[in-house]
Amino acid sequence: MADPDLRQPLVARRLPGRRRDARGHPARPRRDRSRRRRAREAGDQLFALLASFAAQKGVPPAAVDAAWVAIKVLIVLHVILINGLWSIWWERKISAHIQSRVGPTYAGSPKGWNFHGWAQTAIDGIKLLLKEDITPAAADKWVHALAPGLVVAPCIVAFAPVLFGDGLAAANLDIGVLYIFAFAGISVIGVVMAGWASGNKYSLLGGLRGAAQIVSYELPRGFSVVPVIMFAGSLDLQTISNAQAGYWHGILPKWFIFYPVVGQLAFVIFLIASVAETNRTPFDIPEAESELVSGFHTEYSGMKWSIFFLAEYAYVLLGSFLLATFFLGGGASPINAAPFTLIPSWMWMLAKAMLMMFVFLWIRWTLPRFRVDQLMDFTWKFLLPWSFVNIAVAGLYLAFWLK
Amino acid sequence: MINYFSRIANNTKAILQGHWITLKYMFKPAVTIHYPDEKLVPFEKFRGALLFDQNVCISCNLCVKACPSNCIQLENAKNETGKKIAKVEWYSIDFGKCNFCRLCEEACPTKPKSVWHSLDYEVIFVKRDEMVRCWKKDFPFVGRYWDRLTQSFKEAEGQVNIHDVQPRRS
Repeated sequence: MADPDLRQPLVARRLPGRRRDARGHPARPRRDRSRRRRAREAGDQLFALLASFAAQKGVPPAAVDAAWVAIKVLIVLHVILINGLWSIWWERKISAHIQSRVGPTYAGSPKGWNFHGWAQTAIDGIKLLLKEDITPAAADKWVHALAPGLVVAPCIVAFAPVLFGDGLAAANLDIGVLYIFAFAGISVIGVVMAGWASGNKYSLLGGLRGAAQIVSYELPRGFSVVPVIMFAGSLDLQTISNAQAGYWHGILPKWFIFYPVVGQLAFVIFLIASVAETNRTPFDIPEAESELVSGFHTEYSGMKWSIFFLAEYAYVLLGSFLLATFFLGGGASPINAAPFTLIPSWMWMLAKAMLMMFVFLWIRWTLPRFRVDQLMDFTWKFLLPWSFVNIAVAGLYLAFWLK
Repeated sequence: MINYFSRIANNTKAILQGHWITLKYMFKPAVTIHYPDEKLVPFEKFRGALLFDQNVCISCNLCVKACPSNCIQLENAKNETGKKIAKVEWYSIDFGKCNFCRLCEEACPTKPKSVWHSLDYEVIFVKRDEMVRCWKKDFPFVGRYWDRLTQSFKEAEGQVNIHDVQPRRS
């Protein structure tokens, strides 16, 4: 880190013309590294407002910073919690329609507005809060109680550098990608703890399978992003998003998914590994209903059980936002025309993330479950070698095409 | 090598095909109905709850003999002189024994049938007494049950009468 020049984005250093933002304007000046006083978009205007208000009242700047951090943390926390409500409802509706059913219909106001049972998950949440919280007699009480927290806490922490739009992240980390993968990997300890502490053979088997699966799929998941990191030349999510700004021939957006072969392969591997990370259906070996009752959360009930689900859906959201950032151009518009390019970046980001979340749900309700050996074969013998090949081809691209 | 790649291609194609099918089904209308609000009309030969009409019954005992599970009982009515007439005094079906086989309806010689299967599939019994339905003079087609607690005939409580499918009778 001695040479300041090396810390700039690789591609951007080589091709100054590539650095353009979503509206086709030349890029904003390079970010300086002083963390807080950076001229950015919506979030920083809010911060400026807060700071000026505090200056009028004579509040010390440290307090302003602390309040700002608290606000950001609260916003991110609420994104995760409200995502739980929204995505469970959406999953139920989508699964119902895929299976020619209608899903929740009645929950909501008894007389008035009960649009497609919009209140279903909220009411389910109230039910879960009121349910008895059973700790089995054979359970290791402390570990049993701690496990859901250890599943959900790293997930919330991993949301810190997630980009919700241009410059809209709770923390601007230079090593954002690494940070997210590192924290998302911690959750597996919670899964193993839950499996062990339940004092139940099915839970234990589920926890073991979960550990094997999540640790195995971490590898292709990390390696599939390496081409993206090579193209963008940075681990910072904002830089990765900016590196995809602009359009080839003014039409095709320069998103990493549109980089021939490498982009699509990386996208598919990352998508598959993300689905596997969340223990969802083609990969729900840890909670396979037909073999293990429901795996590591068999012995959980009430709010502890719902916290596992909160974590699962938070990981789905995390995966969706990461897919949108890495491969779908972050907050950039897909169409290079006036009404689309004027839409704010957070809306595009949200739309892409929701599209990817739909893909998650779609995959879940289409594909049957893997066997355990197939699951391991698939990651070690297929995804991982191909992600290595992908990295090699990406190196060739960097050497010959993107010079 | 060629095998390997053709396998990858085939599997990818199969997975995409599956996704295409589920996507198509997502936009098709649902095949389910909202049960308490909408009701499915059963097919014509559906064997629902048995109904009985004592006005046409000639008390011939054919249904009693036809019943494989002995769930039907009846008693002839008598006139003032104590002579049996072609009417029932009472008629009862034990739905706890009934296996809805339609042999009683086929055996019934009257026209229209005096015992017949309706299209009602919402037959619910909330207590054991209710399973034995009894028909006497001026009782409705669904019958009443003998409540052993109060020693009196009562209307069936468990019967869900919100279903107004026309009962079939020929």
